[in-house]
Amino acid sequence: MMILVVGGSGSGKSAYAEECISRIAEGRQKYYIATMRIFDDETRVKVEKHRRSRNGKGFITIEQPVSVGSVLKKIKGGTALIECISNLTANEMFGDEEPQPYEAVTEKIISDIKKLDSELEALVVVTNNVFEDGIIYDKATMEYMKALGNINRKLAAMADKVVETAAGNPVVIKETN
Amino acid sequence: MKLVIGGFAQGKLDYVLEQIKHEDYMVLDGKLGCGEALSGKQVIVDHLHRLIRECLESGIDPEEKIFDFVEKHPGCILISDEIGNGIVPVDGFEREYRERTGRLLIKLAASAQEVVRVICGIGQKIK
Repeated sequence: MMILVVGGSGSGKSAYAEECISRIAEGRQKYYIATMRIFDDETRVKVEKHRRSRNGKGFITIEQPVSVGSVLKKIKGGTALIECISNLTANEMFGDEEPQPYEAVTEKIISDIKKLDSELEALVVVTNNVFEDGIIYDKATMEYMKALGNINRKLAAMADKVVETAAGNPVVIKETN
Repeated sequence: MKLVIGGFAQGKLDYVLEQIKHEDYMVLDGKLGCGEALSGKQVIVDHLHRLIRECLESGIDPEEKIFDFVEKHPGCILISDEIGNGIVPVDGFEREYRERTGRLLIKLAASAQEVVRVICGIGQKIK
């Protein structure tokens, strides 16, 4: 069972996703797959802050900035919250010297998430809405946005439920029974 | 006329094409004609925001042009990016483009039979 949570920055998607996974975990182990790569003091502080805010909520945190499918063995049969696809996409795309083409990044991430989805009892995926400012950015950024847009569409098609958060409110935009 | 809006790379055209699957259609990409006859076809205008931008760049009133087109093709489907959910641009032209596009979409939405917002490939009927 997979739920996709999409929203803008500060829209309350993390809080909703945590609440969501806690509701459906029903006593099974909850894993938190964190995709932010720590590369300076700012990201370190951010990760620390996120870790503290999850303290006491029963999550086991796994830091996995790329190749999220590789954690499957550790977490099989449990439940997981993965946050967030926008970081993961940037890490997969810009990890090497040459940026990866958006098609390859899309395929890699979708196949990883499919693996997780098939072996977990429940998976909540958090992603970002960065597509509505109308600005034409540099080529690399547009390529990144194309990748994230495509990934979001594919995740939404796979998901049993898609929820958009706005000002802390969850709005269900897809639900299959 | 139907209006479909949504962010960049959200699958708006795919969504529209799925909805009209069995019809004879014509997609006009950022323009209002293609040298071919459009009668009898389901007309779809994609990237309407680009057309608005080009009009403003060449000093043409996009509103008049688009409403004339809609009058001639009342069954058309117009697709535009949502471009207004960001920081106010520093550049004056970019500000005008953003404002004019937003206002024009409001007018089009008001006279549309149906307005759909697409996010992650999913269409939500908002009118």
